[in-house]
Amino acid sequence: MLDKNKIFVLALSVMVIFSLFLVGCGQANNVVEDEGNTVENSEPVENSAPNENEAAEENADMDEPEAEEAMEPVVISYWHTMSDAETAQLDNVIAAFEEQNPDITVEPTRYAYDDFKQAILTGLASGGAPDTARMDIAWVSEFADQGALMQLDGVMDDFDDLAASTFAGPLSTNYWQGHYYGLPQNTNTQVLLWNTEDFEAASAEVPTTMDEFAAVACELTSGEEQYGYALGGTYFWAPAPIFYAMGGKVVDDEITTATGYINGPESVEAFSLLVDLYNQGCISPNLLGGGIGTADGHATGLYAMIIDGPWMVDIYKGNYPDFEVNFALIPTGADGTTSSVVGGEDAVVFEGSENPEAAMKWLAFLLSEESQLMMAEVGVIPTLSGLIGNPALPEYFDIFLQQLETAQARVPHPAWSDMDNAINNAFQRALRGEQTVQEALDQAAAEINDLLN
Amino acid sequence: MTLSTKKLRQIGIALIFILPALLLFSPFVIIPMAYSFRISFYDWNIVKPELSEWVGLQNYLDALKDPIFQRAALNTGMYAVVTVPAQIVLGLMVAVLLNQDIRSKALFRVLYYLPVITSWVVVSLLFEYMFSGQAGLINYVLRDVLHVVDKNILWLADPILTFVPIHLLGIWKGVGWTAVITLAGLQAIPENIYEAAEVDGASPVQRFFNITVPLLRPTLVFEVVVLTIGALNAYISNLLITNGGDPLDRTHFILTLMYEATFGRLDFGSGAAISYLLTFVVFIISIIQIQLLQKQVEY
Repeated sequence: MLDKNKIFVLALSVMVIFSLFLVGCGQANNVVEDEGNTVENSEPVENSAPNENEAAEENADMDEPEAEEAMEPVVISYWHTMSDAETAQLDNVIAAFEEQNPDITVEPTRYAYDDFKQAILTGLASGGAPDTARMDIAWVSEFADQGALMQLDGVMDDFDDLAASTFAGPLSTNYWQGHYYGLPQNTNTQVLLWNTEDFEAASAEVPTTMDEFAAVACELTSGEEQYGYALGGTYFWAPAPIFYAMGGKVVDDEITTATGYINGPESVEAFSLLVDLYNQGCISPNLLGGGIGTADGHATGLYAMIIDGPWMVDIYKGNYPDFEVNFALIPTGADGTTSSVVGGEDAVVFEGSENPEAAMKWLAFLLSEESQLMMAEVGVIPTLSGLIGNPALPEYFDIFLQQLETAQARVPHPAWSDMDNAINNAFQRALRGEQTVQEALDQAAAEINDLLN
Repeated sequence: MTLSTKKLRQIGIALIFILPALLLFSPFVIIPMAYSFRISFYDWNIVKPELSEWVGLQNYLDALKDPIFQRAALNTGMYAVVTVPAQIVLGLMVAVLLNQDIRSKALFRVLYYLPVITSWVVVSLLFEYMFSGQAGLINYVLRDVLHVVDKNILWLADPILTFVPIHLLGIWKGVGWTAVITLAGLQAIPENIYEAAEVDGASPVQRFFNITVPLLRPTLVFEVVVLTIGALNAYISNLLITNGGDPLDRTHFILTLMYEATFGRLDFGSGAAISYLLTFVVFIISIIQIQLLQKQVEY
């Protein structure tokens, strides 16, 4: 019965293969025994030494006095998800840092965005987490809540000064339960992009209010040949600029409830505008999945308007060198103000880093004018408010910096991914006509409330 | 007494042979499996495992009660029900054709087997492009060449239609494998049985159903079991074509849901529980299939 044996071996190997998916090696080193990850000691500690518990832990782990560490160069790892151009420029940033800090070596590792969370988790589970990383602003509270990140306020020497020099919106994404777990390394937001040819052909004006936007979107639509507006999908990031500009809110400022916020009149109105435009055929059906992407569609004239970020300049330079990119502020809502959504990345130090001092020095350097200006050369928007108007910045940054003044951050909460999913699903149900916008958002409010309690 | 020492010696010798494999197998397979089994009973904390909270069977119960899990189980079952018979029937047809004396037999064998060795990722992306709602080849053919539809079909935006490319891909990619296995089975059938049947006046159809199919039974059993296990473990095509559950978490397979629970929601306990539920089902189905289809035919 060779077959039978074979089958059992196969069955076993199949079991084995997917159980492997779940498993990082189960080491549990670098663990502090007392509960919680944050220690109540928030006084500044001299020379940015780690707080007592960490110091004790470090000694237990390494049995190495700190003086010895300072003798030989310290290596700190830095994980990121930068683009090609950014990665090349990062080497120059690191070179500048190492020149000023000959005792520290930075080892960068680049990941694809889609694999990044998994890579960090695997690292955490196996004790191989990096010292520092640049991660999506929406992840910081999630990882802080897991106890994976080092508290920086009161621990890092120059934290207060550094924090004060950055934009408030991006900085707020590092805040979780009374402490800061990172610093904003770069920021971005989305603005309106409009296609010159489509607009000239219809002699249309670039919209400045939402009413004009809706009218122009339909004016520039013609069957399946051209759509006035297109979104990349239904995940919150896509409708967020219109949502915020029309006064929408996901939860209250204290993050206690979604009732009256995600299903409040402004939020309902914002999603209704989009659903109505979709039903009239003025929004491309690609947002439901499986269509032509917004970047390609916009450059080829299929989508007259899209809403996207500063990286589009580089993307078009590479793929459509002749395409003229036009930016405009997000059209204003009923109260006459524009808004958008804050994106970007934060620099963090991981709990259990063996060289927290060097790691924090590296963070401080990433927040320095020197390195921020270097990264700006490749299209990365700085987070230092003092750099506004700096002649070294590319010209197209102006509109993004202007939009950033009113742009809002998504909810800084560890369950944000699930909230995003709840809103995404509500948007889908409304677009598919399964529920009215109000019903869909009522359901989303209930789901988000469950996540908050 | 002598017997048992002999037996002990045999076991000892067997151990020597097994040991190297076991040494590799344990740290990479058995221990992780046991470890993830343990995780499935906890609200697992990935950073500080010792702070994990014991929740007993809660992860299992939560999964079974979750409508998204139920839908994923249904989707996975449907995938097996559709793709396994289709692969076997088409594979059998191809094998019978390839078993004839035709020219360029080797070339055809290679062509039919090519999809099997292609990368799942590459062909999944290829099918995704083909079934694009706006610029896809399939819509072009249906709308502009055959004129059977007047508007683009949004294949990937629909929770049912999105399985068309996923099922087709599964079948297309598997037929070559079943064909090769079946072909081996066909060639093991002695020619003289066919000759005897021919002398007795059996038609080609009769010969096929009364000789070929019964004698292929062990091969077909093997294929059904392996393909079913494979279908229940389908993952890559779904993840790439639906982004794992899009739209509205209605298109998950069990494994894409497991992936999302684990690496999307960081709920390792739930992910482990889902994977063990699937393990259990795969195990039961395999045993039943083997028992049901085990009967041998001798001529």
